[in-house]
Amino acid sequence: MKKLRVILDEREVDGNPFQPDMWRIVRRYPLTNDVNFYQARAVDVDRTLLMDYLPGQFVMGSVSGDGEAPFCISSTPSRPGLLELCIRKMGTLTETVFSLKENQTIGIRGPYGNGFPIDKMEGKDILIIAGGMGAAPLRSLLLYALDNRDKFGKITYLHGARTPGEMLFREEFMQLKERDDLACLLSVDEDDTGAWTEKIGVVTKLFDEMEPIDAANTYAAVCGPPVMYKFVIQRLVGLNIPKHQILMTLERRMKCGIGKCGHCAIEYLYTCMDGPVFTYWDVLHMKELIGKGVSDNVIA
Amino acid sequence: MMILKMKKEDLSVFLETAKEWGELWGPTRKGERIAFEKVDGLSQMDLKATRTMIPPKKFLYPQRFTMFDFDDKGYVERTGHAPNRILFGVHPCDIHGIQIMDKLFLEEFKDPYYAERKEKTLLLGHSCIPDDKCMCTETYTEFIAEGFDLFFTDLKMFYLVWVGSSRGHDLVRLKPELFSRDIGKEDILSYNEYRKWKKSQIQAETDFTGMPDIFELGYDSLVWDELAEKCLACGQCTMVCPTCNCYNVVDEVELGTVDGTRDRFWDSCMFREYSLVAGGHNFRDKRVDRLKLWYTHKLQAYIGEFGEPSCVGCGRCVATCPVDINVVTVTEALREQEVGR
Amino acid sequence: MSSPKVGIYGFTGCAGDQLMILNCEDRLVDIIGAVDIHSFAMAKSDNQNKELDVAFVEGSISTEEQLEHLKDIRSRAKVVVAIGTCACWGGPQAMKLEEGGFEDRYGGVYGDANITVTKAFEAQPVDAFVEVDMKIPGCPIDKTEFLSAVSKVVAGRHPYFYKFPVCTECKWKENPCILNEGKFCAGPLTKAGCGAVCPSHNIPCVGCWGPTDDLNLSGEYKLLVEKGYDTDEIMRKFKKFGGAGIAKLIKSMKDEQRGVSE
Repeated sequence: MKKLRVILDEREVDGNPFQPDMWRIVRRYPLTNDVNFYQARAVDVDRTLLMDYLPGQFVMGSVSGDGEAPFCISSTPSRPGLLELCIRKMGTLTETVFSLKENQTIGIRGPYGNGFPIDKMEGKDILIIAGGMGAAPLRSLLLYALDNRDKFGKITYLHGARTPGEMLFREEFMQLKERDDLACLLSVDEDDTGAWTEKIGVVTKLFDEMEPIDAANTYAAVCGPPVMYKFVIQRLVGLNIPKHQILMTLERRMKCGIGKCGHCAIEYLYTCMDGPVFTYWDVLHMKELIGKGVSDNVIA
Repeated sequence: MMILKMKKEDLSVFLETAKEWGELWGPTRKGERIAFEKVDGLSQMDLKATRTMIPPKKFLYPQRFTMFDFDDKGYVERTGHAPNRILFGVHPCDIHGIQIMDKLFLEEFKDPYYAERKEKTLLLGHSCIPDDKCMCTETYTEFIAEGFDLFFTDLKMFYLVWVGSSRGHDLVRLKPELFSRDIGKEDILSYNEYRKWKKSQIQAETDFTGMPDIFELGYDSLVWDELAEKCLACGQCTMVCPTCNCYNVVDEVELGTVDGTRDRFWDSCMFREYSLVAGGHNFRDKRVDRLKLWYTHKLQAYIGEFGEPSCVGCGRCVATCPVDINVVTVTEALREQEVGR
Repeated sequence: MSSPKVGIYGFTGCAGDQLMILNCEDRLVDIIGAVDIHSFAMAKSDNQNKELDVAFVEGSISTEEQLEHLKDIRSRAKVVVAIGTCACWGGPQAMKLEEGGFEDRYGGVYGDANITVTKAFEAQPVDAFVEVDMKIPGCPIDKTEFLSAVSKVVAGRHPYFYKFPVCTECKWKENPCILNEGKFCAGPLTKAGCGAVCPSHNIPCVGCWGPTDDLNLSGEYKLLVEKGYDTDEIMRKFKKFGGAGIAKLIKSMKDEQRGVSE
């Protein structure tokens, strides 16, 4: 995989970094009533193999006529070949993406952003807390850690959704519960089906179900809706996890993904280049984020 | 660096010869409108004009241009159309501005559109006559040591010409008889006089050095709200700023087809749309948040990161903002904790 | 795929926008080729009243008869696009919208005359009566902006409009700021899209594109007062093209001022 990254860097130097490559949608199905799951492979197969990324990175997705927007990657680089995206119907561009069917193409360029600091996380315990759409980027990290199980310590995955129907990858995570090499705890705010067998309550409730953690040796990764952050961060800091080991991914408006268009600037940092994964310590230093309350600025 | 001497009256002939390389552009004046325009020769330029409305950034990333043509098969880059241009009369502050832009556009993830235009533009700098809005001594941009192909310093009787690049040297070689290396004691003295004169012309006192801390301390200062109440969010400051690079991208489609273009145009952090994400959440919904971003980016964050402001002291925001919000008034308001009149 | 069925309708206004569509000479053939024009009173006589994909509506609504016709168009069209400032904001005929007093003004003109045609009322923009999916303002509309929007609308896509004020386009054209010359200019309040045509000829912006999405009315008002402008004159100029959009803002500005003085 190292070698591929070298090739990728060369491509970046020589080519037009704004040039989208065409990717064919090979599979798509609804995850919830407004989120679709897409699997794509590059029309030019070599490109698929060049798509070497880290969990937490994102791509710029293009639909000609509607423009571009950033999408976090849900698949793991440990399973190369297919790129997986969870896309929520939010606006002009995603509306068109929803109208695309299998065998149609979309433009993709990337991967961009820093991604999770895998090198530092290896050898440590991993605690992942996902809320709602936050499961999209965190699934990448979770699957990556599971595919490289020996390289990580204890793995704990907490996932909260509003209802069972709104839980992304519900079946997939339910199956993970059967594995004995990770703790997978799921909860919903309310069970409108009557068939939910897991916890009911907000995601922070799952902290009470968790086995004690070795805080100094733990990396926590959080992603979820704005309201979730404040409470989850409180719990994590309360558990004495060092602030630079609490990781969160931020969302911003982006028009380029490569530090040119300016939209995602937070002080001197660009979310696209210096993020989207920031530590809680970084966030504490970003006046603009703190000024408005952490929760305002961190989105699934 | 090679410095040559040239007779003032030879400039016109030199520029005429240089046109062999490409189009000649220079500062022109029509009434109050001062702009870099394509010219036939020196006679159409106004070298006394202090500042053009828009800095030379328009040559390197135009106000609006097409990045790609697309059809159902994919995207085809649109480059290769920029003409060769000689840009004459660029002032030191604007060359400093271009250097800041180079860092952004040419280093990591090189922007091919900017790179192509930069490659096809020869920058011929010229010394300037500062006015009461200039503050280049405060940003250390009153002189320039690099980033140009040639730089002409007007010493009344003659020009001293700095040769900043191999391509600049090639221009000199087109008419070597116009240049001499015969520089004597008097020439050195008059250059020194010129430096002293230039510094003495700057009236503005805007101490930027303490700004990172002042901004940090005053982040929640009510001064910001007072400024935001005046701000018209018109975006003029960002359009005229030599170091504002933000842009937006939009796709245009051809009627009745799936073909179209992906276009890029200047954007501004002063606009509400700037930080709006799909789904309707806006990270900077209030004018005050947007105003803060611009100034903290230029004067706090940039100094913190690179040790110098990303303001080059050109005075364009001072000259342009209809409600007097600019680097001078904002820094003063934050220092004094009061919005001046 | 059959061409989208399109209708073009005109109400109270000068029909300048329809004229501008006909004036897209070099592109008119493309337009006619790409869409199936079912109704275009200005250019075509056999106007049919059938289901439409897109209805372009020009002019403000100022009579009962027009209102009926508008409602009928809305019921038949999937997408209704208001074109021109009159349809989008009300136009100059809606400049007194915020003051009220239509009956008195009507009486002043027609006296006791027995008007038998349709009943008239204060001119209002189209969206005061029916849902409007999109606005393409301008007096008249700009060809480039119109074609850009139409190309997307007929393809079922969302068009993009500049969301910044005229000042930005004005700076792109490198014009000195007219406000700095001490003159009235509505640029900061006005939607871009015109290419800053007036300021590029050293004529102040009068606001004909209507209010921009994010404007600071009280800021501009204070600035003009400081410059010595008469407050009535400022208001008159704000209202000239701003119609319904400005009326709403004036009301909130007045409320704000009242709140401050109390």
